[in-house]
Amino acid sequence: MKKINNTYLLTAATLIMMLLGTNTYSQISKAEIRATGLTCSMCSNAINKQLKSLPEVVNIETDLNTNTFTVTLTEGNTLSPKVFKEKVEKAGFFIGSLVLTTNAETIKKDGYILVNDTSNNNAEVQIQILDKGYVTDKEFKKLSKSLKNIVTYTSNNEDDFHIKYLN
Amino acid sequence: MRKIVFIILLIANTSTLSAQLKIGDEIPGIVLKNQNNEIVNSNQFKGKFILIDFWASWCAPCRLGNKKLVKLNNDYGADKIHIIGISVDTDKSKWIKAIEKDKLKFTQLIDPKGFDATTAIQFGVEALPSKFLFNEKGVLIAINPTDEEISKYINEKK
Repeated sequence: MKKINNTYLLTAATLIMMLLGTNTYSQISKAEIRATGLTCSMCSNAINKQLKSLPEVVNIETDLNTNTFTVTLTEGNTLSPKVFKEKVEKAGFFIGSLVLTTNAETIKKDGYILVNDTSNNNAEVQIQILDKGYVTDKEFKKLSKSLKNIVTYTSNNEDDFHIKYLN
Repeated sequence: MRKIVFIILLIANTSTLSAQLKIGDEIPGIVLKNQNNEIVNSNQFKGKFILIDFWASWCAPCRLGNKKLVKLNNDYGADKIHIIGISVDTDKSKWIKAIEKDKLKFTQLIDPKGFDATTAIQFGVEALPSKFLFNEKGVLIAINPTDEEISKYINEKK
């Protein structure tokens, strides 16, 4: 019985690894979340706890000088940027900025809309999400003016992510 | 196989849930180092009120609160209430700088692991600052009391 279980597990593991291998194009490997709110975001364990509740989270590092949580994610995950916003808000805080490190292929997929023209040939790109709820209110007001010609930006669809390259 | 995994998960889950100090609980034994690298045991302060204050040098509200604790310490003296600050700073030098800058004369200990610090988990600290007031019998009587509340408890005892 035990032997059968072990072989079964091994096969399952191999299958999962194969799946992960073919799926790596749709993944965010790192998320840098700067949190804001009325109280000291680093003085609460809430954001940490919410992020840790995600099985895709491998490691969380905090930078106390910049109020930033750097989250390392499992390979091959299919997380949407929306997850980070939901978790931070569930903890009672807001996102001040969200920078993602991702495979260049990922952002060619539906939902990602590049707002600056700069081209980027890197295999791994750093992008910032510019939508409402992913930047401070002040920045959003500014962006709404500068990006007013982009119809999708002003329509605030929560599954559209307007991005700019940082690298 | 699945059963074993389930049981392990269950145990892991309950052990994290139970780590929360409640009113009426006895003071956990704390053995940590102070700023002079000396080991301090919380048992030696039994017989008087003990206030345990979790803080960190980077936590602005904690630093403000510490200033009030300095006053409380001066007003009552260590024979009435013993204040123990436990810092969860990971950077020891920043902790020592903060003690000097804020002129903290009461006991200062360090458990340098942030919210993962053993004592922070033991007490169920989820935010900084966090304060725990124990009476002279070592029983927890208040969580996050205001300075006025602490004074009231001490004065009642007179």
